[in-house]
Amino acid sequence: MIDKSNIFTGLDISWFILMIITTANAFVAETAEPSLAITALICGSIAYKGRRIMDYFMELNHANSTIQFFMRSYFHVFPALIFLSDLFSEKLAMLTAL
Amino acid sequence: MSIAATDFNLNGNGAVTQEPETLNKIPGNRAVWVGIFAELTEFGIFFLVYFIAKAHYPEQFNQGPLKLNTLAGTLNTFALISSSFFVAKALASVRLNDPQKSISWLWCAVFCGGIYLVIKIWEYHWNVDQGITTNTNNFYTVYYYLTFNHLLHVFWASGSLLWAIRQLKAGNYTQKNHIGFTAIACYWHMVDLAWVIIFPLLYVLR
Repeated sequence: MIDKSNIFTGLDISWFILMIITTANAFVAETAEPSLAITALICGSIAYKGRRIMDYFMELNHANSTIQFFMRSYFHVFPALIFLSDLFSEKLAMLTAL
Repeated sequence: MSIAATDFNLNGNGAVTQEPETLNKIPGNRAVWVGIFAELTEFGIFFLVYFIAKAHYPEQFNQGPLKLNTLAGTLNTFALISSSFFVAKALASVRLNDPQKSISWLWCAVFCGGIYLVIKIWEYHWNVDQGITTNTNNFYTVYYYLTFNHLLHVFWASGSLLWAIRQLKAGNYTQKNHIGFTAIACYWHMVDLAWVIIFPLLYVLR
């Protein structure tokens, strides 16, 4: 016999958490002044939302380790790059000037 | 004996457990993962362009998000997250051998995809009314490139969900074999994942 309640609980909780984080992000967009702390907070939320979707919706927590590695890396690398590009924006502009 | 979701084989059960993809724990098939990594690379290049453009034009990227419609961006995020949730539910329903319920969840996902497209097109019209076009400044050029590219992905991924509905109705995706359905679900989640980065980049961060 299949225990249906076990199957849906993780998905339902994930959906709820993702909606709450999105609402918080929208609130930040409308009210907060730009700062490195806000950028760090948003980067953290991107990494967490990505991981949540990958693990619970995409089911990568039980999948092939190579796929898991590259997908999880993507959501570590890009949030980190968002923060670093904000932190070192002047250096990045100098490095990429034509 | 009770079976939890984690006990289910990724692509089905029975003969499918001997498929190379299933043995290697690949959700769906290899081809879709080549596609997913190619798409994510494409979006990754767009993100790098955003970082460089922002470093060169900080004032434009600081003021740009303020003039965009945050409500539209937020509603689109709700639509995409919900659609991903519905697709995951649809896949779980197939595993529970309930194709009718799976079809219902997929229609919910397609509806959310449709909502996204309608909101995005409305947002583009709203932008034009506010004087925001592709040539307004560098921020809006990046905004239109990123969001229109993403819109195209939502459009054809919605088509793939319709295809999955057709296959379910025809009995081609079953509890024992749903490799194709898993592949479509993974692609849809990838489209959602790309938006998870795009939304804060364009609407939230300044």
